[in-house]
Amino acid sequence: MPLTQDVLWYKDAVIYQVHVRTFYDSNDDGIGDFQGLEQKLGYLQDLGVNAIWLMPFFPSPLRDDGYDIADYTAVHSSYGTLEDFRKLLDSAHDRGIRVIIEMVLNHTSDQHPWFQESRSSRDNPRRDWYVWSDTDERYKGTRIIFLDTEKSNWAWDPISKAYYWHRFFSHQPDLNYDNPAVREQMWKVMSFWLEMGVDAFRLDAVPYLVEREGTNCENLPETHAILKDFRHRLDENFPGRMLLAEANQWPADLRPYFGNGDEFHMAFHFPLMPRMFMGLKLEDRKPITEILQQTPEIPPTCQWSLFLRNHDELTLEMVTDMERDYMYDSYAENKTMRLNLGIRRRLAPLLDNDRRRIELMNGMLMSLPGTPIIYYGDEIGMGDNINLGDRNGVRTPMQWTGGWNAGFSNTEPDRLYAPLIQNPVYGYPAVNVQAQLGSGHSLLHWMQSIIAVRRSTAVFGRGSIEFLRPANHRILAYVRRLGNESVLVVNNLSGTAQAVELDMKRYKGSIPIEMFGKNIFPRVGDLPYLLTLGPYQFYWFRLRRI
Amino acid sequence: MAEETFLTDDFLRQLINVGEVDILVGLPTHNNAKTIGSIVKTIQEGILRWFPRERAVIINADGGSRDGTPELVTGISIDDVRPGSNLNALRTLHAISTRYGNSPESKTAIRTILSAAELLQAKACVVMSPESSTIEGEWLAKLLRPVRNEGYDLVSPAYRRHKFEGLLITNLLYPMTRALYGVRIREPYAQEFGFSGRFGGEFLTQNKWADATDGDGTELRFTLAAITGQHRTCQVFLGQKEYIERRGSDLVPALRQTVGPLFSAMEPDFPMWSAVAGSQPGPTLGPDHEVLLDPMRINRKRLREMFSTGVSELASVFQSILSPSTLEELRAIAGMDEADFHYSAELWAKTIYEFAASYQKAVISRDHIIQSLAPLFRGRALTFITENRNGSAEDVEKNIEILCLEFERLKPYLLQMWKSRE
Repeated sequence: MPLTQDVLWYKDAVIYQVHVRTFYDSNDDGIGDFQGLEQKLGYLQDLGVNAIWLMPFFPSPLRDDGYDIADYTAVHSSYGTLEDFRKLLDSAHDRGIRVIIEMVLNHTSDQHPWFQESRSSRDNPRRDWYVWSDTDERYKGTRIIFLDTEKSNWAWDPISKAYYWHRFFSHQPDLNYDNPAVREQMWKVMSFWLEMGVDAFRLDAVPYLVEREGTNCENLPETHAILKDFRHRLDENFPGRMLLAEANQWPADLRPYFGNGDEFHMAFHFPLMPRMFMGLKLEDRKPITEILQQTPEIPPTCQWSLFLRNHDELTLEMVTDMERDYMYDSYAENKTMRLNLGIRRRLAPLLDNDRRRIELMNGMLMSLPGTPIIYYGDEIGMGDNINLGDRNGVRTPMQWTGGWNAGFSNTEPDRLYAPLIQNPVYGYPAVNVQAQLGSGHSLLHWMQSIIAVRRSTAVFGRGSIEFLRPANHRILAYVRRLGNESVLVVNNLSGTAQAVELDMKRYKGSIPIEMFGKNIFPRVGDLPYLLTLGPYQFYWFRLRRI
Repeated sequence: MAEETFLTDDFLRQLINVGEVDILVGLPTHNNAKTIGSIVKTIQEGILRWFPRERAVIINADGGSRDGTPELVTGISIDDVRPGSNLNALRTLHAISTRYGNSPESKTAIRTILSAAELLQAKACVVMSPESSTIEGEWLAKLLRPVRNEGYDLVSPAYRRHKFEGLLITNLLYPMTRALYGVRIREPYAQEFGFSGRFGGEFLTQNKWADATDGDGTELRFTLAAITGQHRTCQVFLGQKEYIERRGSDLVPALRQTVGPLFSAMEPDFPMWSAVAGSQPGPTLGPDHEVLLDPMRINRKRLREMFSTGVSELASVFQSILSPSTLEELRAIAGMDEADFHYSAELWAKTIYEFAASYQKAVISRDHIIQSLAPLFRGRALTFITENRNGSAEDVEKNIEILCLEFERLKPYLLQMWKSRE
């Protein structure tokens, strides 16, 4: 299955996020690797995804799960070799699956040779590759992101007797993007992977590249200029490749990252995700429609990236204090579930393992404007382990079978990079791929089905959206349109059956065809279109004019 | 058939859209456009501040307003349809309105609100007056929290009032209900009160809505139903009660709405009240009253004239209602100079008890009985005003307490009157 040549391929993609370490161990060392992932590409192809996003796999001391990179042009030996990665890339492409990799632009590990050189003396040629200061008083208006662990964005370096700037952990010094040499070097790094065939980068922590006194050091024009320069070089040299922004910002602040279609192709819609959970708990569409109302138009070649869960905590930075309190009380009553300004839990446990709610949330993920990303394991309803530190509780081994080490590895259980989920509800004997493949009504089969329906039409990836706003606030209804094609989506956010009257005058005469069962519903007429929905039920109707 | 069509299809459709709620705020209205805007805004703020996470709805039962009152209520809905809707609110807040007729009728308004509460499975409800100028958002919290958090079924208000405001309550309704039922509820006929959905549903089912003889006064029957049903009741101090627009001072309709239902309830409630002696204070959050002492102009001469004229002109009516001795005493004070005029607590209690008994006997038209009480009440009001003209808050309260104790002391007299009809 060859890759599509469409340069807007990312609009039609269904992306699967996976960490190489977590997926499949081919050499029995207890750690997932490239060869293991390559062996499982058939599973991903059957699932229906057409892009995978790999978390950092570079050499790293792994103090931040690989986001502390010590060498940008090599792979961590635990995961295999560069050649293994090349083979994985080729195999994925052969199956019509594109590969997105991480590129951590903002900072390196403090173990990176660049930083070691930089700190070695004030005269070192690489001294200016990082942000140094004799005082920790600069950039006072900058917030601290990892509130639970960091007290300042400055860290004292006893070797060179100066402070260095870091927006994340103190072992992750920020690169100095005011230095042209840094910018050139990072483009070389990107080119290295692009020449190998990588299809896209998820650019990590992009709002923080440049610092300026008197600002909050986020989203600065100088940062945008650097990103635009990278994009320009990408288009010139590698057309059809894609940049995805990780910028946890409000929609209005996110908009500039798309520029005039000349900066990022895609950006995560961070504020939407917690509001989907909020809307579900409140049984009220208001949080969802409001944030989408506040979401500005983006250039036609650009796309939002939507997700329910990922490798990080369910971030609550982009909500109000009142909303954050509500989310904590609703989804993380146990305080060990909370981390920084977020909730470190997987999808299924967040939704009380309620199949109906899991399906509804995935239904919205697949039908709202944007490209959906599925976090590995969520397609089978994997659980988490809140007793593991940091965010490791949502990064446990993939559960393939109910057998030895969940089919993840043949090594001794003690050697696994992380313990398996073993509790009675989410443990691998109960939740695993093998069992779900054998059950026609499993969540896995359902996920395969909804991905197939989503991919059966371009309207979800490329169409416009019109909210219908029925008086019943528990119903989230919208019409996605692309050319002559229209799809009506109706979601019941409530745990009880609901009746709703939809104003469908604009679509009078259309015949709704339910997209999963292909059944015909009564024609849209003059009267409000009456539907009844069971608890957490949703419908997708293709509106046909025949 | 009428029962089946009580709620309009349109209202039902609106209720379907609202769905189950935790909190329901009922707002009976009729041409309240001058005041309702600020009141519903205060209600909205109260919900957002005190119950931001609760599923809430404002239900407006309108008696045929022609001044745009319903639109002012529905306009404060918080949703994603209207631009400018409150973005700080966690959830949708529906404010819906239904017109139950072309003229105001508190019975139908309350019934509409209770029906909505039942259909929406409201856990805690509150009825708010559309006329209070001093309403605060916190009133919602005060009236709803005892229901939400402590399991009370009825939360009655207590107010800071002028000593001469609410004389019908202080001189008749409070002492009479207290003596009858043994429960001290300062505002048995309240326009603001909280209640549980459970009790509201029970009252909706058990109240005789089709009975036209009782006139209005559903609020009072609601209070009495809570007492006789042995539901948990409490009082909560709200603060100063004032009206933006004073309602007409026509006493007879007020008597019909309050004393009529009170007298009517006595027959079915006889097994209960006949066994009660004395009274007990109930749970009260805050003081059960506060008194304002500002000077107030009252035409005492007019009250005196209306009393004397009434006693004279309604002599034949009173002969049917009152005992000879009571009537004789009334005639005596009707002939007194203003300076000597004194309608004693004892005589007043006896008067009311005799009226109640005659109401049950229906010696004449019950409505005529109620109407004929008006001049006598004015006489009693005059005495109360005179007694307390220079009184402190403590003095006023002491006199109210003396009156209440007199009603309680004379309860055997009521029973005697009551039994004499048999």
